[in-house]
Amino acid sequence: MTPAITVRNPGLLSLIVDLGRTGFGAVGVPSSSALDRYACQALYSLLDCANAPLLEIIGPRFALQFDADVVCAITGARVKAFLDDTPLRPWASFHTKKGSMLRVKEITEGFRYYIGFAGTIKTDAVMGSYTTNLECRFGGLNGAPLTSGAILHLEDSREIETNVVPLNLIPPMNSPHILHVMEGPEADSFTADSRRHFWEKGFHELFTVSTNLNRTGIRLEGTPLVFMPEAPKSIVSEGIVSGTVQVPGDGLPIIQLHERTIGGYARVAVIARADQDRLAHLKAGDLVCFERISLEEGERLWMEKKNRIDKLRYLSVSPHE
Amino acid sequence: MIIKRYAENALRIIFGNQIDMEVHEQVRRAFFLLLSLQLNDIKEIIPSFCACLVIYDDDLTSYDPLAELLRERLADLSAVELPPPQVHEIPVHYGGDYGPDLSFVAGHCRLSAAEVIERHCAETYTVFTVGFTPGFPYLGTLDESIAAPRLETPRTRVPAGSVGIAQRQTGIYPFESPAGWRIIGRTDVRLFDPARHPYSLMQIGDKVRFIEER
Repeated sequence: MTPAITVRNPGLLSLIVDLGRTGFGAVGVPSSSALDRYACQALYSLLDCANAPLLEIIGPRFALQFDADVVCAITGARVKAFLDDTPLRPWASFHTKKGSMLRVKEITEGFRYYIGFAGTIKTDAVMGSYTTNLECRFGGLNGAPLTSGAILHLEDSREIETNVVPLNLIPPMNSPHILHVMEGPEADSFTADSRRHFWEKGFHELFTVSTNLNRTGIRLEGTPLVFMPEAPKSIVSEGIVSGTVQVPGDGLPIIQLHERTIGGYARVAVIARADQDRLAHLKAGDLVCFERISLEEGERLWMEKKNRIDKLRYLSVSPHE
Repeated sequence: MIIKRYAENALRIIFGNQIDMEVHEQVRRAFFLLLSLQLNDIKEIIPSFCACLVIYDDDLTSYDPLAELLRERLADLSAVELPPPQVHEIPVHYGGDYGPDLSFVAGHCRLSAAEVIERHCAETYTVFTVGFTPGFPYLGTLDESIAAPRLETPRTRVPAGSVGIAQRQTGIYPFESPAGWRIIGRTDVRLFDPARHPYSLMQIGDKVRFIEER
């Protein structure tokens, strides 16, 4: 029989995600990827699968009830989670029993957390991906967030050994967030002084994450960047990559996540790929500062990150406790 | 043509710096040529008004060899085989609840609403690029006499099918979404359907004509 998992409480927002939709950018289809891809890689490793649908969740009180024995795991933001009365280890997999309830009581570090299962949540891939495009209402479970009472059917449920991600492979997720950036295509549109304050060591301007944040972008508050007198406030719309920092006319940066293929604001910087998972954990009121690096340094940081992802792939099986 | 690096795994192929039919033609040719090459190491090609953004798989290639290959392959764009542009006729209900900004545009341009509609329908537009949300066509070039600025504060939601104006461009919102353009009407035509092939009604280089629906 196919195990059924019932959402008893969806938290503030929970969605089906994966590593994103690719190949349709020319007609404006964004990736809509999970925001913390590293946490997803950790789930795939713990659950011994690749690019299966996972849950991305914000907020406490998320609860799931299981009608069968299933192997489940949680990564991403550090949470106080319980299976019935048993506290669960962070970044680890565990067995559920028929009738047992998984509850997330509190988030202690970070913002978004991820839950996956050894098996495949039954849902149709849309344009090659399971992830939810919330704005356009496709992908995921009918293009919508999970609601209380929603049932996830788990196909090909597998019994596997449980495992734990070692502490040294769990990244920090708390404010302040120091993000490495490379110069963006329109960096020269800003005065030298304002660029220095934006990203130079020793001059660091601290920005605060505003309440204006969602899966599309994160608006920051702080000292506005200053445009050069002759620089246009907007550009002829052009393709953008995830992690591009755009600056509209008011000078306050917006970090673009995985929901737009084209942008029309000056692109002052691009967040290093190695630091982009951290963006999943920026929440209103958090402090952010930028630190400029070269593209070569960005590549080197990404190589290091890839090494850590490789280490996730070869977790040693921990003994049962 | 200039190739510039953008991110660890992305580069821009730049053909100009303003909205222009000749630049558009080069972008379009480059886009279809890149598609025809079916390079495994290219994950995404996003053409826009003046440039193509290329996102590549850096497990398979890196900037220098890819940029060199692109420079070589894109040196001659004259022989590219292009798909014939499709012409789309889009019926639009103008004004009223369908087009809450029609009277603003008319006032701004010192024209009657009927004249704005007439001029909006007179042009055959080119799809310069598709983006913002899936299937959203950026159409040009709008008659200068009915050009209007974007909203100071964008609306948080407009209905799917809303037809908008911003400077010398016009466009259609395929989904209910935030919108900063002046909305002058609405169409029932579905511009994007994730369950139908091709997903997007329009692609770069297509032509569009609006028809007033009374």
